[in-house]
Amino acid sequence: MRLDWEAADQDGRSAARRRATARIGRAALEITLADSDTRLLWPYREIRQTQGHYAGEQVRLERGGELSEALLVSDAAFLSALREAAPETRFHDPARRRFRVGLILVAGLAAIAAGGAIYLFALPAVASMAAQHVPIQWEHRLGDAIVQHLAPESARCTDAARQARIDAIAAAVLKPVQTGYTFRIAVADSSTINAVAAPGGAIVVFRGLLDRTESAEELAGVLAHEFQHVLHRHATRMIFQHASAGILMAAVVGDVSAVVGFGLEGARMLGELSMSRQAEAQADRDGMQMLHDAGIDTAGMVTFFEKLAALSGDPGRGRYLRSHPAPQERLAALRALSAQWPRPAGRLMPDYAWNDLKSMCGAATPRESPAR
Amino acid sequence: MADTCPKCGATGVGSDRCPQCGVVITLYQASLEKLRRGPPAPVRRAAMAPTAVPPRSIAAAAPARPSGSEGHRRARFMGSGAALFGIHVVNVLLTLLTLGVYFFWAKVKVRAYVLSETDFDGDRFAYHGTGREMLVGFAKAAVFFFIPITLLSMVPELTGASLRVRYAANLVGYVLASVFVPMAMIGARRYRLSRTSWRGIRFSLRASTWDFVRLWSRSTFFVACTLGLYYPIYIMRRQDFLTRHMWFGSQRFGFDGRGRDLFWPFLGMIVLFPFTLGLSWFGFAAKKARYFASHTTFGAARFRSRVRALPLAWLTISNLLGLVLTLGLAWPWVSVRSLRFAYANLSLDGPLSLEAITQQAQTVTATGEGLAGFLDADLGLT
Repeated sequence: MRLDWEAADQDGRSAARRRATARIGRAALEITLADSDTRLLWPYREIRQTQGHYAGEQVRLERGGELSEALLVSDAAFLSALREAAPETRFHDPARRRFRVGLILVAGLAAIAAGGAIYLFALPAVASMAAQHVPIQWEHRLGDAIVQHLAPESARCTDAARQARIDAIAAAVLKPVQTGYTFRIAVADSSTINAVAAPGGAIVVFRGLLDRTESAEELAGVLAHEFQHVLHRHATRMIFQHASAGILMAAVVGDVSAVVGFGLEGARMLGELSMSRQAEAQADRDGMQMLHDAGIDTAGMVTFFEKLAALSGDPGRGRYLRSHPAPQERLAALRALSAQWPRPAGRLMPDYAWNDLKSMCGAATPRESPAR
Repeated sequence: MADTCPKCGATGVGSDRCPQCGVVITLYQASLEKLRRGPPAPVRRAAMAPTAVPPRSIAAAAPARPSGSEGHRRARFMGSGAALFGIHVVNVLLTLLTLGVYFFWAKVKVRAYVLSETDFDGDRFAYHGTGREMLVGFAKAAVFFFIPITLLSMVPELTGASLRVRYAANLVGYVLASVFVPMAMIGARRYRLSRTSWRGIRFSLRASTWDFVRLWSRSTFFVACTLGLYYPIYIMRRQDFLTRHMWFGSQRFGFDGRGRDLFWPFLGMIVLFPFTLGLSWFGFAAKKARYFASHTTFGAARFRSRVRALPLAWLTISNLLGLVLTLGLAWPWVSVRSLRFAYANLSLDGPLSLEAITQQAQTVTATGEGLAGFLDADLGLT
């Protein structure tokens, strides 16, 4: 075994580099400085290795405090010799490097598994737990801020008589429910065919959706669905999930932040959309149950969602890009639910001409009344 | 008695207390000496004394290279993207398993690898930071900066305080945040330099945080007032500040750039921007890199950069594409590529006398680094 090794010594005081020879002794390294004949004795237990764990790195041994002396040996075989002479020391073993590829592969697979498990199970669980503990009052204010952004006062349709009709429908749907939420329904003057439930009970119905309803029962179906989003705190949960998924991504990506964020944002959105598909199915199911409990004809909800499905076009493509469940699956589930109950005799607002409600935003759309 | 303060570098210090930073010099040197010796019990050291004779005289040790040799020195990266990828994979796993706590140790591993594979003039750099101190720095930054600012911006909104309270809270939060950005920039740089060594000698940044906060806030104000035209003057002043307060051991870096010199290139870049689809930015970035390097001195030596616009543009764009297409998996190779590019284009020309340089390490905490982690104010190491 080779005992004498070419080395360089740094005393931690000056930037001079001194050539040295390191001899592997029984309990200590004996370092002889080439130019001054000074001998230093480094007991193994006082030495720590800070470099030389990877191919191409020099071996760096340090001794002392933070501003330590250091000994540099460029040949990694020095480590093997050191291990042989002093097996009790815990310096890196270069022989173990050949297992590294395998270890990294295993670590990679384990990281994917751990990341997947956290993403699929831990994050949703944490998010829904956290969402359950947010005070309703906070949700309320957050929701108001979101609604302000989605439908500012100026873009709202405010017609007291017709708003009272909508509120009456909402009250009818909510009749059997005990809840701490106060629901507020606003109609926004936009052709979007959509309705949005913000946290805390603020709901925005867009004119485009209102225009396509044909009866109070259809609107009741939409409202029931949105109420369920609020009651299940779906939006609040989504906010938590979004934030924690961001932290997970940061952990995986490590040092690079902004650049990669772009590429990963897409992946994150896809995941969230699928999460929201589950939420939609839940809101459909429980919303319909809610209608039934309130004694409202559930056929209206089915009819309206059939219309929506027809509007969204080809059901087969882009399934994963749509936030709502595939229309056909969704309709089948709704029809099956609705069919198990007998249709109630009474109707909501039997004497009201429904088209009157659609002029809430001043003028009906051209499609509905070509005369204008 | 030292006539240069070992902590802030102020010259002409007559007494034991530095008039600039107020440090008691003998105490400071004693604490440095303690750092040097480290924890091993003095009894054991005494037993070693007959053989372990640390050479006091530097002159006695002949240098490996002739003193003050003329030269053309550059850094080289000796590592590989594959090794960095291996480190990264293990880091990701441990970070996930520890629910994020390992993140700081992971950062240390990457920095240590990059520095120890960086060779300059035949010697490697070394990184001395620890995950523990970074975790503490992060926790401090969270408690004193991040949590108060977040609360200031969120709580009045959620609890429905009056409009006046909300505006006041927002204003306070804004002022705090605008002080923390420069604090983070300088704190992170100070920390990283203090944990980086070459030939056993630490780098340091010896500057007053408040001076930099003042420089930054004044400049940001001017940049806003002049619709961005002040920007080239700001970056020049920032570079001047950061470079002139940077030390390697007892040797200070110098900077002799002039405020106006980047103004016309900047204006030219702005004018050409729409016609070159933004590529003129790389022209300016390359010009800036060359200018900064050629006005940075270290003793009698001077840096020189050969960065050109087109290679820089190609590097940046291809790196970005690589990262996006691989969902970030390529970042170890991207980092290595960028390092190699930077090193290949930068050299230190002229005589370099290292023998006279002595250790003058600074005590620095990692709070600024933690703060920078929150704000993403990463200034890089070089």
